[in-house]
Parts: sequence; structure tokens; C-alpha cells
Amino acid sequence: MIIDINFIGLIIASIMASAVPLILASCGELITERSGVLNLGVEGMMIIGAISGFALMTVTGSLIIAIFGAMLAGVLISTIFAFLTQTLITNHVATGLALTIFGIGISAMIGKNFVGIPGKEFPVLFEGLKDTIPLIGPILFGHSIVFYFAFALPFMTNYFLKKTKIGLIVRAVGDSPVSASNQGIKVRFVRYLCILYGGAMSGLAGAYLSMIYTPQWIENMTGGRGWIALALVVFSTWNPIKILIGAMIFGGLTIIQFHMQAIGVRIPVQFLTALPYIVTIIVLVVISRDSRKIRLSTPSSLGKSFHKDN
Amino acid sequence: MNTNLKISNVTKIYPGCVANDNVSLEFNSGKIYALLGENGAGKSTLVKILSGVIIPDEGEIYLNKNNLKLNSPLDAKKNDIGMVFQHFNLFETLSVFENLIIDSDEKRESLREKIDSIMKKYNFSIDLDIPVLNLSAGQKQKVEIIRCLIRNPKVLIMDEPTSVLTEQETSELFLSLKKFSEEGILIIYITHKLKEVMQLCDEVAVMRRGKLVSVSEIKNENIESLANKMVGQNLKTIKKKKAKTSSDQLIKITNLNFTSDDPFETNLMDINFSVNRGECFGIAGISGNGQSELFQVLSGEIISEKEAIEFNNNYIGDLNPQERREYLMAFSPEDRLEQAAIPQMKIFENVALNNFKSSNFFNNGLINENKIKEHSKKIISDFNVNTDNIELKSQFLSGGNLQKLIIGRELITSPDLLICFNPTWGLDVGAINYIHETLIKINEQNKSIILISTDTDELLKLSDKISVIHKGKLSKIMNAEEVTSEKLGILMGGAN
Repeated sequence: MIIDINFIGLIIASIMASAVPLILASCGELITERSGVLNLGVEGMMIIGAISGFALMTVTGSLIIAIFGAMLAGVLISTIFAFLTQTLITNHVATGLALTIFGIGISAMIGKNFVGIPGKEFPVLFEGLKDTIPLIGPILFGHSIVFYFAFALPFMTNYFLKKTKIGLIVRAVGDSPVSASNQGIKVRFVRYLCILYGGAMSGLAGAYLSMIYTPQWIENMTGGRGWIALALVVFSTWNPIKILIGAMIFGGLTIIQFHMQAIGVRIPVQFLTALPYIVTIIVLVVISRDSRKIRLSTPSSLGKSFHKDN
Repeated sequence: MNTNLKISNVTKIYPGCVANDNVSLEFNSGKIYALLGENGAGKSTLVKILSGVIIPDEGEIYLNKNNLKLNSPLDAKKNDIGMVFQHFNLFETLSVFENLIIDSDEKRESLREKIDSIMKKYNFSIDLDIPVLNLSAGQKQKVEIIRCLIRNPKVLIMDEPTSVLTEQETSELFLSLKKFSEEGILIIYITHKLKEVMQLCDEVAVMRRGKLVSVSEIKNENIESLANKMVGQNLKTIKKKKAKTSSDQLIKITNLNFTSDDPFETNLMDINFSVNRGECFGIAGISGNGQSELFQVLSGEIISEKEAIEFNNNYIGDLNPQERREYLMAFSPEDRLEQAAIPQMKIFENVALNNFKSSNFFNNGLINENKIKEHSKKIISDFNVNTDNIELKSQFLSGGNLQKLIIGRELITSPDLLICFNPTWGLDVGAINYIHETLIKINEQNKSIILISTDTDELLKLSDKISVIHKGKLSKIMNAEEVTSEKLGILMGGAN
């Protein structure tokens, strides 16, 4: 049997495609958490992004409006979270959970009119180059702009946090909001921006699902990817490059276990379905074992409210 | 250039407390100023106003005749006022350099050069590229000082800077401060330690209960005069009357041993002593020689053999602290906010904590809040705790007030024996005196004390019998009159 080498390339490309929403949402949440805010509403923000993107695409016909509209929807819903946790000083965990429940509910409501409507084809870049190089061609070329953005994002996030002044301020706020405030940094303002950025990335992740990955609206179509994104952030110990690794493993196992189910491997389906979750977490725990590094990259104030007065 | 800083009629009122009451002060560069006061006197509030962290209700601040509006820490920085806080304002997980560059507008390279030249000039040596959490307290303080110096401050405020430093680090700090002052930086030094004021400063302003009580030159003052101003009354020199000789034995420790699994703890070896009624038994030693383990064994946090501790003719070595309290023992541990009280709980809730069994406080598992509050008010007035709000969270009490509350809580059940560990650690003169008087009173009521302390003066003042603990072993037991602090020092070093 001759396996077409381009077929392997296609499988790898499909693994990467399935990792895209995880990378986007995780990198957004990573910035939010680095500033000390724990937003458990990723799943909710993603699904809002998914329905907004799909609805805007159907109504306006414009992909650009739909993509940016989905990001804006993510920003808007995360504004609710930011207002509650930063201005009204509510508990991060409870507010985040409420946000997810709210997002799932409202997306189902809006989405009623969009069930069964076919999506549009999303333009891909470098389509012509796909067949020029074996194996590498299908991996590198012929993807949407969002795909390329997602794979650049972990590196940009890493650069932002380590090399830029604003990145340093974000880390400082997450490390010690009291010290930051005493240094004249506007802690709440920084945290607001980080929350809104996280919302935009989750919105984009959702739009990728409903407009590019599986171009249609299905209720609850994020299917827990928001929670996986959250887990990736924690188990990667707030390191964007490890998020990329984790997302690839998760995406890879998801695709492979589909194929295994299709071939009819004699392993219980439930186990296969659970496999990506288990393996991803184990791998990330193993590569992030160094407790000193964990201590250094964990935002010390994560999930704690900050009051100006003390 | 001369710097003149003027505080004019500053008032800051918090609910239930006037932190600064119409305070006016003037400072000129070239001198080191001390701002002296007990905990809670309002000195920290005043310097936080100067550094823009707190906005005053009334009053003005002038720097070289310019009226400053300090609405945020940034405003203070822009106006060349630098401040080193008592609790460091550093980002532990960031590197030293990142901590320094975060509020600087300079380029990386030029900032690095500047930091290097500052470190060279003042003989600091700190690795700029390691995370702050790997530094010692003294090094962290130097990072804070460098952070201020980068901005060429006109005014440098140090808030209780020596509370976390070793002797060696303290003298290094004083040298640097004198150098800064010679270079024309106006230095304001906040403290409650009288010795440091005499050693370092040129002028001293004393605050008490939010008010400025005096401004004077150091050469016209001495430790006693400053202490009296700080406390507001002539401090009595406390002297203990010789205890009535009692042979009525209250507690007897026999062949007590404790072996720990934790390599950082000290093993206790063959501890033997007894305390009679009305006696104070002092245990001296350099910290870390088994005091904390001994306290825990005596209080029941660590359980020993039943027969090792005999109290009032009962063997109680295997009882937990709660059960020991029922035999009328009481405890005041070393760490007030970690071991003795729960910081986030209100005063009256903390009062109830050592008395779960009391039917007064709890009926059928329900809390009788009124009874507890009544009881708390009694403690607060009997033991001079400076607050009238029993709903206040304990973490907002000053160290002295919290210690008074804890001792009060323990004593109000009139126990036969109080075991205390460093009861006056970190307190100001007024509170120390009060605690000492209270402890003497206990002995006069024919009740006993075991006093574990690292403060030799305190032990000599209060104890009837003294022993020294070294590497988990007790020295021979001596009568307090026969002991001098030199002799204790030798025993504490491990010699015989």
C-alpha cells in the first residue's frame, strides 16, 4: 500500500486547524490571567463569538464585518465581566461561571433562526502553492488568515510579555496589584484592558469554529473547547509556547481518535474520546514540573480582587 | 540646592479614628529627621500622604514653596519625593531589573548604566537579572532605595526600614542614609525604635494619637525623654517585687523529649523543670534553639508522653490545647497574626475562639453573639485595647493592641498558668510596659507564668527563676537575682 505523502500533510494540517480555536482562546485568557484576573467565562465568550460571527455573516454577507463583529461581541460580553469583577469587585470564579452560562443561553436564543443555514466559503491564502512541495505544501499553504494569525499568536504573546514595557506592566499587576498601584500603575485599567483582550480572542476563536472550521451554526457548538483552553493556560504554567504544544497534542489526539473510531479499533469509544483530555494534561504537567519556574510564572494575585484602599 | 518640605495643617479622619489631627511640620535638606511614635500614632498615615498613597481630608503640602497636589503615588514621584515602604513594594516574580525599569522612562541600556553607577557609588552589590524573590530582606530594601535614587529624589522617606533587617544590614543602611543626607537629599526616617533615632537622626518629631506633640533637636533629648513624649506619660520603671516564697508546685516537666521529622525543627532533649504558684519561670535563648517546639509541647499543639507533664497533680502530656485550657492553662503564642488570632475575623469572633466549651458563648451549637460581645467589651476596657469597635477585623489592630487583646482573652478566664512566647516582640515602649505590668500582676495574684523570650532584659525584669535553652537542651535553673545578662549571653552561646 502506498500512502500518499500529501495525505499525511493533510492530516497534520487538519490537526493544526483543530488546534486553532484553542490557541486563540488560551492566548487571550493567558493575558487576562497574567494580569491577575481569572475569567472562567471563556466557553461563554467563545460561543457568543461563534453565533455573532455566523449571524453577521448571514445577515450582512460580509466576512470582514462578521470576523470583527465576533471579536467585538467577545469584547462586549467580557465588559460585563470586567465591570462586575473590577468595578463592583465581585468574585472572579462565580462571575466567570455565570458568564459561561449566560453566553450559552443567549447564543442558543439568537441562534434559533440560524440553525440549518449553510455557511459561506472562507477565502484561503496561498492555495496555488499547496501542491508545489510534497508534505510541507498542504501543511503550510491554503489556510485562512485566522489560521496563520493563530500560529503566530503564541510567539507574539511571548514577545509581548517578555520584551515590551506594557507586557512587563501586565505581569507586574498580576504579581502584586498593591505594589503596582503604589508605583502609580492604574491596576484596574490594566486589568480591564486584559479582560477585554481575552474577550476579543475568545470571540475570534468562536468565529473560527462557526465560520471556517465547520461553517454552520449548531447549538452549543464550542463543545467544551473553552474549558480546554482554560486548562491549557494553567497546565502550560502561563507559557504561550507550551500552550501551542498542548493545543497541538489535544488537536492531534482528537483527530487521531476520530480516525481510530472510524477504522474500528477495539478500544471503548468513551476511552478514545477521553484520551485527548488525559494525555494533554499529563504531557503539560510533565513538561512543566519545575516548581521554581511555576512559582515564577504563576500570577501571584490570580483570582484575587483588588481594592484601591488597602 | 536646599530642599524645604512643609506640611501644613494636615488632617485625615478614618471612621472611628483621627489618624492625623492638624499636623504641621517643616523639614530642610542636610539633616536626617526622625518621625517617632508608637504603633498607630499616625506616622505611617502622614508619610503615605506625603507619597500620594493616601489623600488627606484637609491641609497642604509645599515643596520649596510650591503647593503640591498629591493625588497618586505618581504625583509624588514626579515631584521628586521617594518613599521606601515598610512592606516592600516589589514584584517578587520579576527580575530586579524589570522591577526597576517598570516605572522608568529611560532606555534599557542607559538605565542599566545608571543603576550600575548608583550601586558602585554606594557599594551595593545586587544581581540585576535574578528574580526578586531570591533576594534577602536587606537586598530587597536596597532595590527599593535604588528605585528611588534613579529619579534623583529631593526627599527620601523611609518607613520603619529596620524592622526586617539584621544588625549588620542596619548599620549598612545607616551609613548609606548619612551619605544621601550629605549629598543634599532630605531624609525622613519613621520609626518607633528610640535607639535608632539617637544613633542616626538630627531632629526628631514625635507623634501621639494622630497629633504632633513635639519637635526638637536630638542633642537636647535622650532615650528616656523621647520615650516619655512618645507614650505621653512618665514611664514608670517597672520593678518586680520579690515573689513570696511558695513551695506549692503547679507544673512539673519530667524527662520531656521531642524528636521531629522536620529537619528544620529542633529536637528537645530531656527537659526537666517545675514552676511553683506565683512564680515566673523564664526561658532564655537565641531564637531557633527549640523555643518554638517547647512552646508547642507545653501548649499541647505537639502531644508528648502523658507522664511528662504534670499539672496540678494531673498528668496532661497527651491532652490537646483545648483540653489543657480546661485545666486552667492559657497560652500566648509568638506569632500574633498567624497563631494567636485569625486576621480576617472580627475582634469578638477571635475572643470566642479559645473558649468553645463555654456555655455562655455557645448554646446548643449556636453562637450567642451578645454574650461574646459583652465579654469582648470587658476585655477591651480591662486590658486597655485602643479601639471601641469590636466588629473590627483583627488584622487592623496594631501589634500592641492585638497582643493586649490576646493576653486579655487568655487572662479573663483567670487561668492558673500562662505560657507566653515573646509576648512583646515588635511592640512599642508603651505596649511593652503595659504587658510587663500585666504579667507582674498575674504573679502577684499567686498565678504562674512560663515566659519563653529572646529578650534578655525582659527575662531579667520579670522572672523569678531562669534557664537557658540551647540546641533543645535546658541549662541549669538559676535564681533570677543571681543572674546577669552577661552570664545569660554566655549560656545562650552554648558554653557551660
